[in-house]
Amino acid sequence: MAQQLVKKDDDRDDEAEYSPFMGIEKGAVLQEARVFNDPQLDARRCSQVITKLLYLLNQGETFTKTEATEVFFAVTKLFQSKDMGLRRMVYLMIKEISPSADEVIIVTSSLMKDMNSKIDMYRANAIRVLCRITDGTLLAQIERYLKQAIVDKNPVVASAALVSGIHLLQTNPEIVKRWSNEVQEAVQSRAALVQFHALGLLHQIRQNDRLAVSKLVTSLTRGTVRSPLAQCLLIRYTSQVICESGNNTQSGDRPFYDYLESCLRHKSEMVIFEAARAITELNGVTTRELTPAITVLQLFLSSSKPVLRFAAVRTLNKVAMTHPTSVTNCNIDMESLISDQNRSIATLAITTLLKTGNESSVDRLMKQITNFMSDIADEFKIVVVEAIRSLCQKFPLKYRSLMNFLSNILREEGGFEYKKAIVDSIVILIREIPDAKETGLLHLCEFIEDCEFTYLSTQILHFLGIEGPKTSDPSKYIRFVYNRVHLENATVRAGAVSTLAKFGAAVDELKPRIFVLLRRCLFDSDDEVRDRATLYLNTLGGDGSVVETDKAVKDFLFGPFDVPLVNLETSLKNYVPSEEAFDIDSVPKEVKSQPLAEKKAPGKKPTGLGAPPSGPPSTADAYQRVLSSIPEFANFGNLFKSSEPVELTEAETEYAVNVVKHIFDRHVVFQYNCTNTIPEQLLEHVIVIVDSSEADEFSEVFSKPLKSLPYDSPGQIFVAFEKPEGVATLGKFSNVLKFIVREVDPTTGEADDDGVEDEYQLEDLDIVSADYTLKVGVSNFRNAWESLGPDYERVDEYGLGPRESLAEAVNTVINLLGLQPCEGTEAVPPNSRSHTCLLSGVFIGNIKVLVRLSFGLDGPKDVAMKLTVRSEDETVSDAIHEIVASG
Amino acid sequence: MGLWEAFLNWLRSLFFKQEMELSLIGLQNAGKTSLVNVVATGGYSEDMIPTVGFNMRKVTKGNVTIKLWDLGGQPRFRSMWERYCRAVSAIVYVVDAADPDNLSISRSELHDLLSKPSLSGIPLLVLGNKIDKTGALSKQALTDQMDLKSITDREVCCFMISCKNSTNIDSVIDWLVKHSKSKS
Repeated sequence: MAQQLVKKDDDRDDEAEYSPFMGIEKGAVLQEARVFNDPQLDARRCSQVITKLLYLLNQGETFTKTEATEVFFAVTKLFQSKDMGLRRMVYLMIKEISPSADEVIIVTSSLMKDMNSKIDMYRANAIRVLCRITDGTLLAQIERYLKQAIVDKNPVVASAALVSGIHLLQTNPEIVKRWSNEVQEAVQSRAALVQFHALGLLHQIRQNDRLAVSKLVTSLTRGTVRSPLAQCLLIRYTSQVICESGNNTQSGDRPFYDYLESCLRHKSEMVIFEAARAITELNGVTTRELTPAITVLQLFLSSSKPVLRFAAVRTLNKVAMTHPTSVTNCNIDMESLISDQNRSIATLAITTLLKTGNESSVDRLMKQITNFMSDIADEFKIVVVEAIRSLCQKFPLKYRSLMNFLSNILREEGGFEYKKAIVDSIVILIREIPDAKETGLLHLCEFIEDCEFTYLSTQILHFLGIEGPKTSDPSKYIRFVYNRVHLENATVRAGAVSTLAKFGAAVDELKPRIFVLLRRCLFDSDDEVRDRATLYLNTLGGDGSVVETDKAVKDFLFGPFDVPLVNLETSLKNYVPSEEAFDIDSVPKEVKSQPLAEKKAPGKKPTGLGAPPSGPPSTADAYQRVLSSIPEFANFGNLFKSSEPVELTEAETEYAVNVVKHIFDRHVVFQYNCTNTIPEQLLEHVIVIVDSSEADEFSEVFSKPLKSLPYDSPGQIFVAFEKPEGVATLGKFSNVLKFIVREVDPTTGEADDDGVEDEYQLEDLDIVSADYTLKVGVSNFRNAWESLGPDYERVDEYGLGPRESLAEAVNTVINLLGLQPCEGTEAVPPNSRSHTCLLSGVFIGNIKVLVRLSFGLDGPKDVAMKLTVRSEDETVSDAIHEIVASG
Repeated sequence: MGLWEAFLNWLRSLFFKQEMELSLIGLQNAGKTSLVNVVATGGYSEDMIPTVGFNMRKVTKGNVTIKLWDLGGQPRFRSMWERYCRAVSAIVYVVDAADPDNLSISRSELHDLLSKPSLSGIPLLVLGNKIDKTGALSKQALTDQMDLKSITDREVCCFMISCKNSTNIDSVIDWLVKHSKSKS
């Protein structure tokens, strides 16, 4: 102790961080713990020792089984002391050391006694500890006391019981559910904390009953909730209810919106913020709904509390992604935040500005960012890079300055993740903006001249191999690639060889020169590099003359590797060396489970280098692969489009089924992704019976059932239909899931021998016009529009009737057509009376379509629209009009 | 002389408060918690719930404060008895004298416990409870059936009591108080 005091005097500066327990040893403390067994207890001393033990545990020290048991039993002896402080430490210690279940039971009786003690602190803490260590049978015994505690006059006791209830709900839901009445009473408590905890528990009890949650919210939003924390919870539950009830905006106002709006005027900042955030996150929120929330967030932006500024700017940042125009009002406040001391706030402010800014402010902002980039950490730089990427996608005309910015920061120091984000961004820009390709590729080439990350170098080389040959002057990249063969490590050298070969295969004029380079690689010191060089020299046809490359060779070099690696590995393991060579075609192509494609909705963020190099995003590719593995679908041709998964069952039903619609030229394939959520069941011979009586032009040609569907491992069923070629045929399909059900004993996993036939009604499925259009953006709409020419232009006007707002009308039409909005025209400025929206895409049959929509407000709410379509085919232009006319 | 002695004792008790610690063990439903209640308050209730874990009670008799560890008798607690018997002044083992079926288990549990080296030399008091019931064993029969004669490494005493009728409770308390004195 004396030493510590002296030390304290020496360095006063560190005083705050200096713990009196620093450097204590486990062994010594365990020795000290013997005082627990003294016949005459020194309560103060015991408390100190427990504090030390707790300190050790919290520092990550572990006790062996024997040590823990010894300490635990010694601590239980402290129940003899009547000292309140010590008893409190005993409770803590029992919770913290959590001995095994068969030992901890020894304190049950003592805790039950404390639970009925007159001292509030004993009651509250004993409840917490008891609930932590209890099991189902014991819980039934003490249930009566817990119910009583929930409505205890003392708020600490009531809270303890409520919080314990929240924990116990996980393990013994049926018991806790019986407490509803008491919990409901506690919700009306005057104590803020009790109200908060009671509301939390009540919601959890009713969680799976949508109607009950809705009732709960309805009754509480009428204003009995006083505690700010409980109010925040209520706001969250309310937005959940709103989200689930779906917005029937046609009928007028959104339910509960008034409540959220009234919370914006609450005294507590926490509640205001929660309400504002809830409003911004509403599904399909309209500008009118958004305005009050944005206004309070704007006030927070100039708050003196950093946490409020941060919360506000983060929320606005999210809003800016969907409703950039609504946030523009805050731009001035946001600009002053760029120089905020807190870098997180500054970064979010600037990225928000990038999203909301219009084309003209881009240059100015870029200048500001450049000053600012050097003082922020890598993770924030990544945020900025991502913001710039999306900015560039929005304003393709600005690609030059943005690309320059990216290449500048690429040259600076930075960690792997940061560099990867930059490279990914450049790659995405190259793919999306054709004009940016050449400069972008040159930037990348420059980068690999001095790149310390092997992973990035090889990825860029691969990308160069795909994109480089398609440029106007492929030869200028070869120098960069060949430099790698001299200067880099073996992995990069091997990658460079492959890239060279691709140039050779794709550009016939370059072939002789590539051959010279490849031959030089034959003398490399690394096996892999030499092997690759030899392989490519042979496949490219060895004599080095200017000839056209075989299609087979091109397929080999550029085609995707369509054999699943797992299957290839097993096949190779099973292959017995013999006269017969290994045949790669014998490897099964069917993927057993396909977790990536179905669970996650197709990634919203475009993936960079990781994705397959040419055009289609990864999910489409995954689907294509799955479909091509089924021989019956082989002659369907190329997959035109796969829809997002559509849920055919409600959440939390016995069987979860969603469907993906795959559109081919003359066929439609429904992929039903089924999951069995009942552990006690095994489903067999699962089929979907599709009734196409309301879809005359479709005829079923093939159905692939699922042999068995065990618990929790998803399986797919495919049903294929034939339809008229190249036409957007619409239809409605009703589906029934049919199967044989077998009982499974969950403990052994054995299935019963007898199965019972059963069926399960699924929701209906529609093929809509948007299924036949593919979202493909164009970089310069005007140029594309001019080049398509007015030959097949079709113009017509439509009255859309009364609408919530202009923005809502625009969104409806965009979703109806399923086309890609261009140049950020999907965002409607608030209060505008007219708007023009530009869309582009590809119609089935690979026909390019461009659409110009002019909206105008006609009267107070009526929206009128002029639709101009240009396409490569007259019928398609008409088809687009038909979609709108019938939608 | 006698008066003088008593006065001195009283005077001594003012200055020399004595304390003792006891462990109360035995099979479930032998009457341990009832005994605690009888000793502490004199009250008796037919209607008891099994002790889950232990009850800790402090009882003052004359100038002696007795700390009582009343342990649960169910099989899952028996392995933990030993931990609460270490360093106590005496082990009190309660047997249901009217339940001959469980006597052999009671005997083996007792002898198992006493064989632990940490408990050597601690005095043992065996109480045959429930002698108010018909068919209860006599003291001699209990001593034989519990094989108490074979315990030679410590002081062993046996009483026949009834918590219900408070039979012989006084002699139990006397014995305990005497042992607190001899210890100190």
